[in-house]
Amino acid sequence: MVRTLFKRLLSTAILLAQGHAWALTVFACEPEWASLSRALLPGVKVHSATSHLQDPHHIEARPSLIAQMRSADLAVCTGAELEAGWLPMLQAKAGNAKIQNGQPGMFYAADHVSLVNPFKGVVTPFSGDVHVLGNPHVHTDPKRLLTVARALALRMAALAPLEKTRIEQQLKQFEEAMAQRIPSWEQQARPLKGRSIITQHANFAYLWLWLGLTPMADLEPKPGVPPTPAHLSRTLALSQSNPPMALVIAQHHDPRPAKWLSGQLGAPHKLVVLPATVTDEQPDALFRWYDLMVQRLLQVAS
Amino acid sequence: MLDAASTSRGLALGARDQGAGLGHSDLLLRGAFNEHLSAEAILGFHSADRKLAHHLENAWVQTRSLPQGLEVRAGRFASQIGYLNELHPHTDDFTERPLLYRGFLGGHWYDDGLRMNWTAPTPFYLRLGAEVFGGKKLVPPASAASGQRISTLNLKIGNDLGRHSSWQWGLSALHNPRTAQLAEHHEEADGQAHGDAHGHSARFTGQSMHISDLVWKWAPQGNNRNQQVRVSWEYAQVSRIHPQLDPALKHAASSLGAVWRFHPSWEVGVRADRARLHLAQLHEGEVEAQQGRLKENAVMLAYKPSHKQTLRLQLTRQVAPHGASEETVFAHPARRSLQLQYVLSFGAHGAHAF
Repeated sequence: MVRTLFKRLLSTAILLAQGHAWALTVFACEPEWASLSRALLPGVKVHSATSHLQDPHHIEARPSLIAQMRSADLAVCTGAELEAGWLPMLQAKAGNAKIQNGQPGMFYAADHVSLVNPFKGVVTPFSGDVHVLGNPHVHTDPKRLLTVARALALRMAALAPLEKTRIEQQLKQFEEAMAQRIPSWEQQARPLKGRSIITQHANFAYLWLWLGLTPMADLEPKPGVPPTPAHLSRTLALSQSNPPMALVIAQHHDPRPAKWLSGQLGAPHKLVVLPATVTDEQPDALFRWYDLMVQRLLQVAS
Repeated sequence: MLDAASTSRGLALGARDQGAGLGHSDLLLRGAFNEHLSAEAILGFHSADRKLAHHLENAWVQTRSLPQGLEVRAGRFASQIGYLNELHPHTDDFTERPLLYRGFLGGHWYDDGLRMNWTAPTPFYLRLGAEVFGGKKLVPPASAASGQRISTLNLKIGNDLGRHSSWQWGLSALHNPRTAQLAEHHEEADGQAHGDAHGHSARFTGQSMHISDLVWKWAPQGNNRNQQVRVSWEYAQVSRIHPQLDPALKHAASSLGAVWRFHPSWEVGVRADRARLHLAQLHEGEVEAQQGRLKENAVMLAYKPSHKQTLRLQLTRQVAPHGASEETVFAHPARRSLQLQYVLSFGAHGAHAF
């Protein structure tokens, strides 16, 4: 009796100890980095600051996020100014030395890959939300994502040396899974090559580049500026003379302008509303997300 | 940062003149020195009585590498008491700050001082802070006795309520041993409340002040880009107004505001402010207090084509209930004032607080 009780107490204590002995506590600015962190170190404690239903440019430095940042060992963010409106405030308020810029605990994905479409020219208050370093939405390209995964694995291993071997094994598995899937996605997406689409904001720019789709117009008159009636009628005229394969917007966008345009074109079925990133934070969420992108675009292509 | 406004009628305790004027505009420099320190400097401009005035508003360094959630800031900066005070006025939802800020804190109180904050390692947000300031910006050196420092204590707690909303509650206390210089009653007493509207010092002071503030924000799925409701409430009480007056006399003011972003580029808001004040004056060598009440209600509509620009139209109504003793405290409330404001920000977009 006493022995059973003792055993139970011991196992509870071990469970509790394990529960608190996270190798790392990760603060992920976007859910794709939460999923990737989990893929590289299963069981890691991760807070994701945003979901696929939120516009990552426009997050507020909420109290709950400051508290999560306070206890993080590693912050994994996109960078290239995507989080310029909120991340610096979290860093300033969290009182956490580990996740300040320049520290190994602050990881920016965009630092490890090449970016497309850097804004060239003079930035004025009327340029919109331009990214002078280039488009930050790098997770929509699986090849760039792999490069980020390798860099993140190195960083995680440096911060949690006891888990180094496990992280390396996990990375190898992840690389193999991607190496298998990328050619298959490319094969499936062949019918999409050269087709034109209308988009809203450059959330999927890397996906279009990868799959060979041509964005012919953007519903935003300038980056980050909501669609205006004048700009919508210009886009309507353009798409009437040159009908696009689809209108693609993200789930976090206001759907009204795209609905109006697809209605005017007499093609409401051409409107595709996609999650701009993974819809959960499981380790395989990224695979499922690329799958979903390819399938949904193929549906509208036929 | 540029803030230009046209006001049909200046408000009692207001910071904007009648006619066109430059509001709280500023030049900001921000950066990290090294891995241990970050710094910020703000040179502010505004027009006062048709002249352009400038002032160094912020010039501070803050630690980035202290252990255990500690942060220390030194230099000139805005105190963190209340909800709005530490926020830059260009992000305000209304053209003028609430009455309690205009009456008790000179609109936006920044001063030379030292701050120490501790953020707790809790699953919700908990921050304790203490500040010590020179105090010249709140109560200018006047009587020989003043010269003491002003200190503050501040607690902030906050968290999310599900996926759609979040809240923050703050409690602040301020200890102010400085005594403001009193005006002579025989002079145009209204000048106290109406003229000199641009001095950054507070017009109703006391030895201690307490502020409680609550903010609640809601957005479907937390996606505040498309739609958001922000509700904020603040209450401030100032006690021990003057050493020679009844210690039971208190100033009190409250503000309740709600803003609804109903479209990615449109916002509408309402705010109700109430203040009950006592104007301390010298009358034939004796210190006397006159009670004054002021109500202010505002509605605004803002168009934000991008987050670098805001065009705001605001209608403000002030009412000062009349009474023989109150006549001189707020003799000229703005019964109707229409304000048109344009805010434009240049350069890199800075991060904003909750």
